[in-house]
Amino acid sequence: MSTTPQMQTATPASGRAPKVVGLVCDWAVGTTELADAAGRLRAHPSVTIIRVPCSGFIRPSWLEDTLKAGADGVFVVGCPYGDCLNREGNYLMRERVDQLQRRLARRKIPAERLAMLAYGLHDVDAFLAEVAAFLKRLEALVPPAAPARPAAPRPAQTASQPVQTEEGA
Amino acid sequence: MYRRVLTALLRATLRLDVAINRVYPTDLNPLYYTGGLANLFLFVLVLSGIFIFFYYVPSLAGAHESIRYLTEQVPYGGLIRGIHRYAADGFIIAALLHLFRNWFTDRYLFSRDSPWISGMFLLFFGGFVGVTGYILVWDVRGLTVLAIFNDLLKAIPLAGQFLADLLTGGQGLSEGTLPRILLLHVGPASMLYVLLGWHYVRLRHPKVWPPATWVLVCVGLVTLASAVLPAVSSTPAEPGVSPAAIPLDVFFLLPFWLAGYLPALAVVVLVAALFAIGYVIPYVARETPQEMGPRDPGVAQVIDGNCTGCELCYYDCPYNAIVMVASPYQGLSRAAQSRKLLAVVLDSRCVECGICIGACPFEALELPGMLESEITQRAAAAVQA
Repeated sequence: MSTTPQMQTATPASGRAPKVVGLVCDWAVGTTELADAAGRLRAHPSVTIIRVPCSGFIRPSWLEDTLKAGADGVFVVGCPYGDCLNREGNYLMRERVDQLQRRLARRKIPAERLAMLAYGLHDVDAFLAEVAAFLKRLEALVPPAAPARPAAPRPAQTASQPVQTEEGA
Repeated sequence: MYRRVLTALLRATLRLDVAINRVYPTDLNPLYYTGGLANLFLFVLVLSGIFIFFYYVPSLAGAHESIRYLTEQVPYGGLIRGIHRYAADGFIIAALLHLFRNWFTDRYLFSRDSPWISGMFLLFFGGFVGVTGYILVWDVRGLTVLAIFNDLLKAIPLAGQFLADLLTGGQGLSEGTLPRILLLHVGPASMLYVLLGWHYVRLRHPKVWPPATWVLVCVGLVTLASAVLPAVSSTPAEPGVSPAAIPLDVFFLLPFWLAGYLPALAVVVLVAALFAIGYVIPYVARETPQEMGPRDPGVAQVIDGNCTGCELCYYDCPYNAIVMVASPYQGLSRAAQSRKLLAVVLDSRCVECGICIGACPFEALELPGMLESEITQRAAAAVQA
């Protein structure tokens, strides 16, 4: 419900939507109806979903590499805590994400660019709302200096902006 | 058909979780701890059972009187008897919830068959212990249950008469009967713990105990039920008393209730068929490998040259599927040059979850159906786009 207005305000603020990669446990929130064949969320086309066997399968270095490669944010979705099919996958991943966030903070990379979420098969609405909120948080981080708010950015400017932001990252 | 029904049940089970998670924080969702709750009730049963054991007299003349003495004369005896009675119901309810939940949410796949098979044994012997417990009270209901049990056993072809004699200790009732039933109550109950060892042996950190809140709530509920509705015996059993309409316990005595409507052989076949189906469940997958997609990525493989013997995967594997062996030779990567140990995945225990891949910082493990390069390429492509 709240996702649409947030998106509308989010996109023009920075000139582009934050690029986000989401690694989603295949037992957790169902995204078949939410995403296209390439894994892009219909509600937020800048978010790409990759389904994995268990959230504990994710090696933290992949998240770090994805951020280094230019993604604005990365999130992991596991099952609700306590309901992991393998009992421990999402707890282990939560700890690994915590550690990676501390490591990123030491390198002056905002830890908010990494998120650990937990949503079950049917929590689609809550999941989409959380993704929208995550995008909004990234939105505040993406432009290092953005006085572009009063003047509507021209489409030509948007192409050069990502390069600057990645230097900052 | 079976697969479509099971998929619908999976969705319904998780839909129920959504509703319960609105009431409780997910860490306290009781349906996440059904196994632990069954274990808790079993523990309560053992403690209260030991107390009752001190007072029980296993003789035809003394059994009913000793239970009466326990209930009326011993301080808190009636309360503890009721706790024993209601904790047994709690055990069966929790065990059945555990069974159905794990069935509907695919928690029997791959090498999880070992907990499943041992769980079916636990259910069978748990039910048997409950039935012998009803007989031990030695009131009219107990006598009726024994008579029906005798009939059911006799209906089994070939071995029937032998099994019936085994149960009562010779033809008909004798002074040997109740000690034998007592042994058949306490013996299998102790054996449940042996079976629990098998139930847990492949799990690294099994959730054996529910959160403290639920321990208190369940013990409190059982005590409250015992105080409000004390467990009572009906009239003493005397051979010759006709088994009138007896209130039957749906959780333990369902086959005995059915025996009033169906031929004994049919009931025996039905119970046997239900357990036979139970043993087959883990070997009939709900989905084909194609439908499973990322959920069936194959057994984890160790990349020998990269393994440094650091044991991180060994500590994180939730199924004890990784063992560390003395490294027969050095690895190829620099970090693996001086390794003393080498990780080995036991295929027969691996459930293809990939948690070892996330644990390994040296790129020494892969799932064949979902390689690291595939994930990183897709992530890179998403960033480039």
